[in-house]
Amino acid sequence: MAEEQKEAKPKKRMTATQAAASIGPLVKEFITGTLRARAEGKQKLAYTFIVCHHEEILRAMDVVPVWTENFAGICGAKRDAERFLQRAESLGLSRSLCTYALCGIGFDQWREELGQMPPDSPWGGQARPDVMISTGQILCDPRSKWYQASQQFMPDVPIYNMDLPYPMFQRDQDHRDVWGYYHKYIVKQLRGLVSFLEGQTGKKMDYDRLRELTDLSDRTWNLIDETYELRGAVPCPMGTGDAMNTMVPLCFMMATQTAYDFFVNLKKELEEKVARREGEVQQEKYRLMWGGGLPAWYALNDFNYFNSKGASFPVETTYRMVAPLTKMDIPDTQDPIEHLAWRWLGYWTFWYDKAKKRPGSEPDVERLINWIEEYKIDGIVMHEAFSCRTWHVGLIWQLHQLAKIYKPIPVFVAGKGGTKEKVYRELPSLILESDIIDITSYSEVDTRNKIDAFIETLESNRISKAS
Amino acid sequence: MTAYFAGIDVGSTMTKAVILNDGVVASVIGSTGPEQRRLANKVMEEALKRAALPFAAITYVVATGYGRINVPFADAQFTEITCHARGIASLFPEAKTIIDVGGQDIKAIRIDGAGKITDFVMNDKCAAGSGRFIEVIADTLGIPLNTVGDLSLQSKNPAKISNICTIWAQQEVAASLAQGIPIPDLLAGVHRSLTERISTMVNRLRVEEAIVVTGGGAKNKGLLKALSEQLGHEILVPEEPLITGALGAALLGKEMAQRAKLKDAPLKTKERILEEIEIF
Repeated sequence: MAEEQKEAKPKKRMTATQAAASIGPLVKEFITGTLRARAEGKQKLAYTFIVCHHEEILRAMDVVPVWTENFAGICGAKRDAERFLQRAESLGLSRSLCTYALCGIGFDQWREELGQMPPDSPWGGQARPDVMISTGQILCDPRSKWYQASQQFMPDVPIYNMDLPYPMFQRDQDHRDVWGYYHKYIVKQLRGLVSFLEGQTGKKMDYDRLRELTDLSDRTWNLIDETYELRGAVPCPMGTGDAMNTMVPLCFMMATQTAYDFFVNLKKELEEKVARREGEVQQEKYRLMWGGGLPAWYALNDFNYFNSKGASFPVETTYRMVAPLTKMDIPDTQDPIEHLAWRWLGYWTFWYDKAKKRPGSEPDVERLINWIEEYKIDGIVMHEAFSCRTWHVGLIWQLHQLAKIYKPIPVFVAGKGGTKEKVYRELPSLILESDIIDITSYSEVDTRNKIDAFIETLESNRISKAS
Repeated sequence: MTAYFAGIDVGSTMTKAVILNDGVVASVIGSTGPEQRRLANKVMEEALKRAALPFAAITYVVATGYGRINVPFADAQFTEITCHARGIASLFPEAKTIIDVGGQDIKAIRIDGAGKITDFVMNDKCAAGSGRFIEVIADTLGIPLNTVGDLSLQSKNPAKISNICTIWAQQEVAASLAQGIPIPDLLAGVHRSLTERISTMVNRLRVEEAIVVTGGGAKNKGLLKALSEQLGHEILVPEEPLITGALGAALLGKEMAQRAKLKDAPLKTKERILEEIEIF
């Protein structure tokens, strides 16, 4: 039976920072915190998704968020997702759907069938919610459909489906011409969430508290940006492997003092490491960007493998879900709901103006180019997770576009007549292929063979780079 | 004194060795089997015999391919991506895209005018599109593998093979055969299905001419025709498409030795002993 098929425990990944090493207990605490809250029954629990700019509302209403993507990721990282995926498959859901959703649906079905947590559930399991707040994100329909599927096993749990669009990039149009309409719509969606939660909790929203929490989040956003910019140092003091840990406070703990304090400490730690010239890799030879795609949570050790070859990752586009508010061109407002909506629009349109200035560029490509320069990047690594369209559609196109419009590596080649000619070579890239949590899609041997070939390409560039 | 360099490519299906000085002196191709270390030893012995050289005459040995770490006498290892690129750049200086149709996987590599890799993709998840796909189909049809290409060229009406999974395609071919579809049409259909898979992967690289195909797949004329039609480009094939990885490995060894000499640095080499090693 599927429930017996637990996979071998993964080796622990080495972290470069104390902060990243401290994440495990932090996650465990907020998972067990949701279980405690469930047992005490004083607060309402809400299944919900990350990157929706609604944490402040949940926390101001004393609603405990249960981050379902996080729990699925934990199952993947602990290599214990397969039995839940198989459960979902036995319900008739295809393995090619979002495996976060499949894992969550399989888990929910099992928990509801048993009337208790499935045996040996990772970190005690995922608490049963009182409400579910789904939030489609333009392309990510599982964020709407997942909870509808789970509602089959929990018909008593209501869903609030929130829609958060943003204007698409159009080279010949200023997004500010239309974002007022988007803003009105998003404000309506967020106010709808407040009324829904007021109805469910029987409490009225405390807008002063909401304003305080929004301010706390804003300060955390700016602090994260300042902290992550320190990773631009040579050698890089903290890589993407660690950032896949520090995404926890960034994505799951916003609007809490704990998250703010975490980044205060991380910033201090990085400043000290930079002062000591202490890197993620001491003999740093190559600086890479994780240019897109969610990680294979069960294979985070691959970052250590890159490190063992002298490669560090000063920056990643994945989970860098903040932009400095100081550089964001959004209107001021005293209404915290209106501010959340503006911040949402400001974040998603952050690279639009810059992208318009470069022929052939697009916001995602522009971000790559800016960070290639800012973080002195030698190569780009992406991960195509077969089950996730939202974050993975367009990655190859981005690389193609980047190669077309941006060739940063100067090398000498033999020109006509035998003379040396300086030409510019495109940045090497590597696309890894597997999944976020479905380990059956992953082969360590093949992945590392690809990494070896990529490192050889980087080395070849390093040797032939014109001084 | 003439310096000799050896490259050995331990692939998933075949093991290949090349010995060169200014040009190729000897090359050997043997099947890999599970005991890679022992076979690497035998292939190397055979290559030395053909070159009429003692092992001590080899200045540097580079191993490549999936089994590269199982070559105990190799002085250095490089991935097959780097070695194929180097080997092809030496044979076809105009090459921009390399497609290696191997026994268990396919690789596509883009190289620049200087023969340096700018990008690559590999299909290592599924046998669909690899040489193994054709082996399975040839076995199902009961025909020798080396006749598949020529037979497929006799087709007037290629069959539609819709399954891309090797196992399901095998069943589909068997069912089509039972319906009386001629073998040449089935093989042409199989090649079409295979090249659709290959070109989907290769197109991720922004294919540029000249395109060179290597590996066992390059010996199949039917596959080459279908691939050329699918990509809409002419295809070049080396005289012996199986040895380009080993050739590249030997050339990389030669370059390493030359660089060491220029810098007056010592060249670290293994002891020149070819012994059978028990690994199982």
